Order: sequence, then structure tokens, then C-alpha cells
Amino acid sequence: MSVAVGIVLPELRIPVTPTFVISTAVATRDFQDVHHDRDQAVRRGSKDIFLNILTTTGLVQRYVTDWAGATAMVHSVAIRLGAPCYAYDTLVLTGQVTQASSTGCVVAVVGRVTGGDHVTGQVEVGRLP
Amino acid sequence: MISGSAAIVGVGETEFSKDSGRSELHLAAEAVRAALTDAGLAPTDVDGLVTFTMDSTAEVALAREIGAGELRFFSQVGYGGGAACATVQQAALAISAGVARVVVCYRALNERSGRRFGRVSRDVSSAPTSSGVDNGWHYPMGLGTPAATVAMVARRYQHVFGATGEDFGRVAVAARRHAATNPRAWFFDRPITLADHQASRWIAEPLRLLDCCQESDGAVAVVVAGVERAADLRQTPAVITAAAQGSGADQYVMTSYYRDNLTGLPELGVVGRQLWQQSGLVPDDVRVAVLYDHFTPYVLMQLEELGFCPPGEARHFIADGAIELGGRLPVNPHGGQLGEAYIHGMNGIVEAVRQVRGSSVNQVAGAGPVLVTAGTGVPTSGLLLASSGRGWVGR
Amino acid sequence: MEGTIRAAAERIRAAGAGPARPGRDPVNLPMIRNWLEAIGDRNPRYEQDGVAPPAMTQVWTMRGLHPVVEPADPLSAMSAVLDQAGFTSVVATNCEQTYHRYLRDGERVEVRSRLVDVRGPKRTALGEGWFVTTDSTWYVGAEAVASMTFRVLKFRPPGSTATAPASERAPAAASERVPAVVSERASGVAFERAAAAVASDALRPVVTRDTAFFWAGTAAGELRIQRCGGCGELRHPPGPVCRQCGADRQDHLVARGTGEIFSFVVHRHPPVPGRRLPIVVALVELTEGVRMVGEVLGADPRQVRIGATVQVDFVRVDTELTLPAWRLLP
Repeated sequence: MSVAVGIVLPELRIPVTPTFVISTAVATRDFQDVHHDRDQAVRRGSKDIFLNILTTTGLVQRYVTDWAGATAMVHSVAIRLGAPCYAYDTLVLTGQVTQASSTGCVVAVVGRVTGGDHVTGQVEVGRLP
Repeated sequence: MISGSAAIVGVGETEFSKDSGRSELHLAAEAVRAALTDAGLAPTDVDGLVTFTMDSTAEVALAREIGAGELRFFSQVGYGGGAACATVQQAALAISAGVARVVVCYRALNERSGRRFGRVSRDVSSAPTSSGVDNGWHYPMGLGTPAATVAMVARRYQHVFGATGEDFGRVAVAARRHAATNPRAWFFDRPITLADHQASRWIAEPLRLLDCCQESDGAVAVVVAGVERAADLRQTPAVITAAAQGSGADQYVMTSYYRDNLTGLPELGVVGRQLWQQSGLVPDDVRVAVLYDHFTPYVLMQLEELGFCPPGEARHFIADGAIELGGRLPVNPHGGQLGEAYIHGMNGIVEAVRQVRGSSVNQVAGAGPVLVTAGTGVPTSGLLLASSGRGWVGR
Repeated sequence: MEGTIRAAAERIRAAGAGPARPGRDPVNLPMIRNWLEAIGDRNPRYEQDGVAPPAMTQVWTMRGLHPVVEPADPLSAMSAVLDQAGFTSVVATNCEQTYHRYLRDGERVEVRSRLVDVRGPKRTALGEGWFVTTDSTWYVGAEAVASMTFRVLKFRPPGSTATAPASERAPAAASERVPAVVSERASGVAFERAAAAVASDALRPVVTRDTAFFWAGTAAGELRIQRCGGCGELRHPPGPVCRQCGADRQDHLVARGTGEIFSFVVHRHPPVPGRRLPIVVALVELTEGVRMVGEVLGADPRQVRIGATVQVDFVRVDTELTLPAWRLLP
């Protein structure tokens, strides 16, 4: 894997529609009302429904494998959560290789929304054995 | 007219080491005192001081340390090692213009134990100056060491002229052969073979470790006085037959990458043409050449730029040992910066003076003039030195 | 109160891992396809190889629409204690998953969790709270296939008092009720250090009025070449006054981004801040005629040649610096 430290991944922009929030929540079997019921979410102090963590983890993984290709092997995904990703926002994922070796690399990923960093994390990725 | 108006009348050095154990100011004072002693002059005779902008010792600090009195001329020359011969030119200019009578040129550095120039320097890439802006076109991209900047030119030179790593290696072999018989040289008694060169590790391809000069601690000073004064002093004067600075069109510092060609050192061509014109000499007249050898490829390119051989043919010029002792044009009999020490080119001036005096440990027979060059790849300078009455037929 | 919380935490922690909880369904392609469709992941590998996306691991053991309260679950138990003490709200702060291998279609997965630590009380941007960290391991039979460290902040919503009854029940793990930026960085610190090592180490250009257009261009994904507003002369590196006609009205064009390697260096020593060596740095003659220095990305040094054609790429170091770089064209 000839990946150099400093390589920047192409940006991924995801329009966070209510459908996106709800379909991903259901696909990850997370039925908390804040991820599908706007009235309940507002009642609980949120301005809208928002992405659940399993989806954020999935998006971070997808973002890196989109770049690394089908033969990539994801070893780990570590994320820190920040501002919520509400419906009608746009999630902008950016990434950069922070470590690289002959067998793989570490990509630092940041997902930004209007309110700031929704997620920052690291994905450790290698090749299929 | 600068030619023949002044002479180097004294030289002084500290030992050359990897860790001097004392401050650069201390080293400077020591070298200057030694040079004055060599000349038979007192600190109070000094009325001018010249150094490099890169030197850490201000003229006034040095003047205090050596007990000089009033100074009437002080100057600093820029562009790193390109300043070496220009310090002597500044002194000769001041003397020929009558503003000073005894000018000392000095350079002191703990380059090995202190700030190492071969490292990537954040300072030079972030300086809020035109040079800082220039560096912004390559430092952030990962091209940030002298070796790497030279390697870019060396690769093109190889591509265009067919020079090889072995051609570069022959320069290193000659330098180490000469250093091996110079007790002052760090690499005294340690010659290398071409195979050693080829086995040394890559630094910045196509440059290997043995293509790069060493790093040193030490100081050098030379005393310049008018030729009339020189005649009364202790040593055989090394008359400044010619002295020149040069900068080329579209000049950058180490990265003149935007000119049509990347196979020469046009700034040194500017120097060379002036040296021949001022002195009336031609390359064939030169007995010994002291060529600035921070990196071997630039020695080949200097031979071409100064007219010792046509462009691209230096590898043929040196192939039969021409630049070694006993060859057609012995280069760097002291071992150069590859073999003796890296004192930013100033130790080369001392060697040239010794060759003029006839006192070098690796003395080249004859009475012809001695050529000295300063740092290349940067705005640079050069000198032609000869014993009194010789080698300046241009006057 | 603090003592009560600490004692409960110690008791739950000492009890070790809770009971294994099996997933409702085996790993299966219909759920994988739903997940891929919703996430927008077009990687064909999962269908082709019959394996699950690694980030789906936790999905297999989610409790579903009607979760059963499990008092033996360490996070549930700890949450109940903190709820009683008035720290009724929860926000997840960190999730670190490690995948030992990919799960295969048909495999049955179960999970066991244990409490790692409870730290507090901490003042955060959300209010006073406790960080609760759990470790979970997923098994197929006896084989551990994935693990997760999960951290939540259980906090007291502003305006409530220590003795106020819980205004809402703490949800199960893997969800958040009051999302917000949390002031404590916890394990996120490691990420920040890693990113900073690259960004803060980077050698930065001095940007002046004369050169700002170039760097604004790279940030926007454009390789800009200065063009004289008087005579149209192209120039790189740029400067404020045209060398041809003397005009000081500078304009620029956006380069096609293609060129040929005029010369190059394979830098192996000494270290270069922010980079892993060796790197290849090339002087490229752009199609428009000017030359420019940049790193050749992703290239085997042995494959780089003078005359090779390259395409520009952009390396975003951080919000302030984007570098031009090259990629070899086949």
C-alpha cells in the first residue's frame, strides 16, 4: 500500500434528510424516538431528529472504504462525538492519512455540521490478507 | 580598480572539530587573534571587520573581544556560503577606496554541535521576508534541506549530460585523498575509494552521504591590507588579483529552478567572467583551484561554469585524476569541505593563501595564481590570489 | 452522594462482565443490504464475499423496538445509580471499535459487557456529570470477533437539583438524549494529538498579498498561475511586478493541472516535519509552461522518471493550508 502521510481524502458531503436519519436509525436497529420522531426530539430539547451513533460509525467506516477500495480491511474505528447532526443539515466528511506503513494506514476523519464537529475519529485500515 | 590593490596578509584558524566546547564568539576571537599574530599586526591596527549575515558574532562583539579600537568599516555579506570570497572583496573594496586600512574577515560556527544547516529549518521557511516567501514554494512541499535542493539540479544534470553517481564520487575520492595527508583535516588519514562512495547510503537521491560535505565546528579569519602595507609585513602577501560577486538572472537561493536550464550555475559564471576580466588571466593559467564543495555535483558544474571545460564535460575532465594532486588542475589540496572542514568556505581561502605562500601541507608546485570560489547554488563570489607581482598581468 | 456512586461503581465493576446477550438474528444479507442502502455504502465486497460491514457489528445485538430491562447489564445498572443521584441525562462521547475479523453470513453473534470505570463528578459544558466507560466484546462461539470501548456522560440537566427525581429515564447504550459538544475530550485526546502532529508540524508558506491568490486557489482545489494583467505573461513563483512589461496588475488563470516531471528528488534523510520518508519531490513543468515544486503522492520512487506526466492533486493539511502535489498519470 503506497500511501503517504498527509494524503487528503476527497470530501464527502451528505445531505442529512429526515429520511436519511430515519432509514439509517432503523437499519442499525436503533429505535430511540429522537432519531425518528421530531416532536419527541424537540420535547427533549433537541431542535430536530438527529443521527444515531451507529450510523455515524458506519458513515466514518464507509467514508474511508470509499477511498481505500473494496480490498481494504478495516481494523478499527474510533470516534469522538461532538455537535449533533440534525436533519436538514449537511454532514461534510474530510480525512487525512496520519500514519502509513507497508501494510496499512491510519486515517483521521472529521465530520462537520453547521454546529461544529459532529465527529472526529481515526480509522485503521489495511489490505485483505 | 580592485585588482592588485590589496592582499591577504594573515590567516588564522581554530582547530576543526565536531564539538568545539566553546561559544562561536570565543571561536571567532581566537581565529582573529591567530590571524593578526600571523600577519604581525595588533588588534588596535584593525579598523574594519567583515563577516557573513549568517554569522552569530556581530562586528562590535568581536571588536570588544579582541580589543580593537575604533572601527571605520563593517559589513556583512548575505547568501550563506556564497559570502565567503565576498568578505575579502568587501575588505579590498574598502581598502582600495581608502576608508579602511586593515580589515579582518571572519566566520565562526558551531555547525555540528549547534545549529546544523543540513536539517530542515522551520525558521527559514517562516521568515517574514522575500526569502521566506521564496522558501514557501518548496519547503512546505517537503523539499527543505540543502542536499535535497542540490539533488534536484544534480538529477537534471545527470539526465541531460549523462553524468553518473560515480562521476560525483570521483570528486569525493579526490577530496578525501587530499585530506588524508592534511593533519588539520577531520578526515586526516582516512581516504575513501569509489566503491566506498557507491556503498554510502542515499541522502536525497541522486546524492549519497559521501556526496555531502561534513559538518564542523570551528572558525577562520583572514586579514586584508593594502599591497604597500603588505610589503612591510611578516608574511608573503597573497595579492587579491581579482575579486567578484555574482548573481544570475532569475536567481533564487538554492532553488533557481525556474530558469531555462537546470544544468549550470549561472551566478558563478558571472563571477568567473569578472575574475578573468579583472586579472587578464585565463583558466589555463590557474595552478590550483579551491572550489566550494558542499555537494560534489556542484564541483563538476563549477569546472564547466568557470571555463575549465565545456558544459557537460566535467566528468571527462576529472576522469583521469586531473583534480587530484599531480593532475592538470589540483582541486582542494587541503581536502575541501568534504575532507578538511566545513567552515562555510573560509578555510578554502586559507588554503589558497598557503598555496600562494608555498606553505600548504599538500603544496602544488609552481607560481601561478590560485582560484577560490564560494558557496554555489546561491549568489556567490570568487577570488584569484597570487604572490606579489605575479598573476595579475591584467594591470 | 459521591461516595454512594463510587461504591456502586466499584461493586458493578468488580462483578465483571454481564451475561452474554445473543443477537436476535444471525448475520444475514437482508439486514446487510438494508444497512448498505441506508448508509449509502456501495462497496461490492460485502455482497460478493458474504461478509458484514465491520461497523455493523453492534447492529446484530441491538435490543430493538421493545427492549427488555436488564438489571444485570453493567451500563444499565450504573445508569440506574446515576439516575437516582439526579444525573438523569446522557450523552455518548466516545466509541472505539476494533474488528478482529469480518463477520460472515449466517454466523450467530453474542455480546458481553463490563464496566471499566466511572469518573466524576466533572464540570462539563452540559452540566455536572460522570463519565461511564464500558467495554463490550462480541463473540462467535468462543471466538472474540470484535470489541468496543464506549463512554457516555451521565449529567444533571441544568436547572435541576441533586435530589430532583429523574425527569427521564436514561436510555440504553448507543443512544443520546441531549446531544451537545462535551467539554471533556476523554479518549478523543489521542485523535487530536495524532492530527496535530501532522498539522502543527507542517512547514507553512509565508503568505503575502502577492501570493495569497495561489494559496486561496489550492484551498479551493485550483492550481493558479499568475498572469500579468498587462501583457499576459505567465509566471511561477509569482511576484507583484511583471518582469516583461512592468505592470503591477496581476491576474491569474487556473492551470489544467497537468505537466511533466522536469526533475525530482527522493528524499530519505534527514527527517522532514509532518512526513514519513522517503518522499518524492518533483519539479514539474506544467502544460502552461511554468515550473512548480510538489510532492509526488503514492509513487514508488523507482517508478518516477524525468518526463513522466503528472496530474495535480491537493493535500489539505488543515483549514489554513492546502498544498499542491502530483500524481503520476499512467
